[in-house]
This record gives sequence, structure tokens and C-alpha cells, in this order.
Amino acid sequence: MNVSLFGLFSVFVILLFIAGTYSILVTFNLIRALIGIEILIKAVTLLIILAGYLTGNLGLAQAIAITLIVIEVVFMVVAGGIVLSIFRHHGTIDTRNLRDLKG
Amino acid sequence: MFSLLVLVPFLILVAVNLSKKVAPNVACSLTALATLAQAGFVVSLPGTLLKTNNVIFTWLPDFKLAIDEFSIVVLAAIGIVAFVACCVARSTINDPGQRATFMNLLLVALIGMNTTVMLRDIFSIYLFVETIAIISFVLISIDRGRLALEGAFKYLMLSAFATILMLSSIALMLLFSPTLELSGLAEAMSVYPNPILIKLSIGLFLCGLFIKSGLFPFHWWLPDAYSAAHSAASVLLAGIITKVVGVYVLMRLSLSIFGESLHIQAMVMAVGALSIITGAVLAMTQKNFKRMLAYSSISQVGYIILATGVGTPFAFAAAAFHFFNHATFKSLLFVNAASVEKRLGTMDMREMGGLSNRMPATGITSLVGFLSTAGLPPFSGFWSKFMIVLALWAAGKYFYAAFALLASILTLGYMLILQRNVFFGKLKDGLGGVKEVGPGLVIPQLVLAAIIVLVGVCFPFVLNKFIFPVQSIFLK
Repeated sequence: MNVSLFGLFSVFVILLFIAGTYSILVTFNLIRALIGIEILIKAVTLLIILAGYLTGNLGLAQAIAITLIVIEVVFMVVAGGIVLSIFRHHGTIDTRNLRDLKG
Repeated sequence: MFSLLVLVPFLILVAVNLSKKVAPNVACSLTALATLAQAGFVVSLPGTLLKTNNVIFTWLPDFKLAIDEFSIVVLAAIGIVAFVACCVARSTINDPGQRATFMNLLLVALIGMNTTVMLRDIFSIYLFVETIAIISFVLISIDRGRLALEGAFKYLMLSAFATILMLSSIALMLLFSPTLELSGLAEAMSVYPNPILIKLSIGLFLCGLFIKSGLFPFHWWLPDAYSAAHSAASVLLAGIITKVVGVYVLMRLSLSIFGESLHIQAMVMAVGALSIITGAVLAMTQKNFKRMLAYSSISQVGYIILATGVGTPFAFAAAAFHFFNHATFKSLLFVNAASVEKRLGTMDMREMGGLSNRMPATGITSLVGFLSTAGLPPFSGFWSKFMIVLALWAAGKYFYAAFALLASILTLGYMLILQRNVFFGKLKDGLGGVKEVGPGLVIPQLVLAAIIVLVGVCFPFVLNKFIFPVQSIFLK
């Protein structure tokens, strides 16, 4: 990786962070919020690869990245199941319906 | 020997899932036996066995499992609370399919917690914390009720943020450390010239842990999740799961990584103190039994965090002691809540009153839990709070010491509101037919109450055998 490619990579990671945060902040849709989380986790995975590249510790970084992908899949399956059950109860996936618990 | 703590639950998990015919009650009994054996085995260990840095398993240079005096206190708490959750699940979850699911989740959570306690590198700790978090989403929403799903989703979103914070912190740690093993990390931190990067990485990880343990600025998911979850799940969550994934990991990291940094200590203590006061004040305004206990849990965890932030060996031992006591008295109060919910079918405190007359065992044990939470002698909670105040005073944090002392009056206040509304006084109209719950719930209540009283009465013995040895971790 030469310098310009490295800069491109870092900019891409930052863009992913902004995109993920933005998509969580603006939406009232549960699935879109999950997609935002997914984008953020992807950004962090790339950040770890970047850190591994900078310090020459790529072996550890790759091992961590692969483990993260597995964890992320499990997380998303459970989250998807919960969203599906919420949809069955409410008939919609709007976060504004989730206001029963207060106090 | 210690590998059995992980292997036995795993074997039970495989055995009960081999065939469809195994009744969930068999799984319940096996798990209850295993958890009791865990508590017994851990408690029976004489302190002298642990003179060396007890590494029990090494795979790669970076990956090892080790055990020390602090792990023993936590492992005992895990065993006790998991046993109680087993008993509660057996008598409150009626559907056999759901009960089998619950037992499977409990076993996986048990494996996860036992391993977390023995891990010594930050990425594996993150990994197991995440696994246990995913299990708790399913545990909260196990009966797929409307409220439970809402609580689970709120926890899920906050937990995802915690994940992202912790992973960013791990990425930053990779920048200055060749390894993620805790002692290697501490070494790399001490020689790295840029303190801002180090503080940033520790701060991000701490924020993740604050979310996971439900501390002050991030506390609002916790009452939702606890009050919406099934009784058995809320015993397990409130008693041990959030404590291990949040509080234990924070204490372990403070021990090995950021123990000497004054800024970080000040931040941890401030968060602890704010959690104490927020939890106690918000608990006073609650109308729902379990919500009130959840806010009380935030307040009590604040005490543990406050003592962890001091950074002296004595304060750390006090925090470990309060960790154990909190696990026992909070799960006792949640079992009381489960009994009341089983008989009344509601958690609204305005519909309760005078239940001590009809449910004597539940009433008396809740009184034990209440006095211990409020920190009245001779119950266990008094000694640990007393130790925390002493440790704060001895470290020169006079303001925090006075604060902790005054805040325990608030604790007494909200626990009195709870007792008066639910158990004391005249029996409310329409509750005449309420009977005491069956032995399935009375036995765990009595066991927990006995532990609280025994730890309180045999305080010198417990202190010398389990709590003071915790201080020796600092010397290694």
C-alpha cells in the first residue's frame, strides 16, 4: 500500500463512521437503525485492519477481523429476530411505537 | 481442576440437547447441581493454594486462562446466582419449551461468565462480553411479550454502541501495543510517549463498560430491560450477568491497565458517585416493583465503581466484597419480586400491601434483603459499605466518603417505601386469597437470606479467608 492508497483507505473508514452514525440518528425505522450499526461495525473492523497495517501487526489484526465478522453475524441474526417479533406485535417497525416502558 | 468450571456446563449443555426426550426439569436439576458444586468448590479453596500467579491454561503466548483471589469471589457469586435462577425458572416458567430454552441460555451464559472471569487478554474479554450480551437479548425477550421485546431492543441498540466504542478502543490499543494480553498491554502503555492516545483508548473502552453495566449517563436501558424481562431472566440479569460483563471487567482492567492514572480514577469515581445518587433518587419515584429494584441496582453498582476508582488495595477488596454482597441481596429481592408476581400477576406497587401477613417467608426474606441493601448491621451489606467508606476515608477522599455515607440514607429511604407499599401494613382489599409460594421459590429465598446473614455474622472469618487475600493481587 503506498501513501495515496493509505490516505484513501483512512478517508473511507471515516466516511463509513459518518454514514453509520447519520443513518442511526435520522431514522425511525428499526431495520435502518440495524443497518447503521452494521456499517459502524464494518468501519471499526477496517480501523483495526488499518491499525494492524500501521504497526506491522497484520496477523493479529486479521485474526481479530475474522472473529468480528462471525460475532457480527450472530448479533445481526438475534437483532433481526427481535425486530421480526416486534413487527408481529405492532404491525410496523417504527421506533415511535416503542414507548410503552417509562419511568 | 479449574477447567471443569467451563467443561462441566458445556458437557451438560451437550447432554441435554442430544435427544429431544430429555425433560427440561432434568436440565434444571443438572444445572442446579453443577452451579452448587461450583460455589462449593470455589469456596472450599484454601487461600494458600493461590500463592503463585495461577495460570491454568495456555494456548498461544497471548491467550491464557488464569485465576486469582478476586476471580474466586466472583466465581462463587456466579455459582450462587445461577443456582437461584435455575430454581426460579423451574417454578415460574410454565411452558416446557421455553423452560428448555431458558436452561440452554443459562448454561451458555454460565460458560461465558466463568471464562470471562479467567481470561487475561482484552480482545477475548470483549468477545465473551459480547457473547453474553447476545444471550441476554434472547433471555429478556424469551416470552416474546410486547414489553419484553421493547426492553430487549433498547438494550440491543445501546449494547451495539458499547461494542463499537470497545472495538475502536482495541484498534487504538493495537497502535501502541504489539499484544492485547493485559500485562503486555500495561507494559506497552508505560513506555509509549503519547499519553493522549492511551487515555483516549482507555476512555473509549470505559464508556463501553459504563453502558454495559448501566452506569449513570447510560443507565436508562437497564430498568426497561429488567422490568420487562421474565422473572427468572431478571434474577439472572440483575444478579450476575450485567455485573460480570460490566463491573467485573471494569475492575479487572482497573487492576491491570489504568490503575495508576489519576485522571481516569477521578472519572471512574465521579461516574460511580453520580450513579449512586441518580439510581437512589429515581428509585424513590417508581411505582413498579422490579423497576424500583433496577434503579436500586444502578445505585449499588455505583458503590462498587466508586470503590474501584480509589485504586488502593483495601478499596479494591471492599469493592470485591460489595460485588459479592450485591449479587446475593439483589437476587434475593428479585426472587421476592418473582414470588409476588407469581401470586398477584402484577408488579404495580399500588395494588399491593400487607403481603407479609399472607406470604410470611417472602416477607421476612425480603426484609433481610432490604436491611442488607440499606447497609444495616449485622447483615452483609453493612460490612461492605462500611469497608467502602473506610477505604475512601483512608485514601483521603473525604468528600466521597461523606457522600457514600449520606447516600446510604437515601437507600434506606427507597427501601422503606418499597417495604411499606408491598409487605408492611394492612392487607389490601381483594388480596385475602393470596397464599405463600411453593418450595420452588421459598428455598432459593431462604438460601440467599441465610448466605446474607451468615456472611454478616461470620464477617471476620469471611474477611480473613476471602476478602483480605484479594489485596494481594496488587503485589503481583
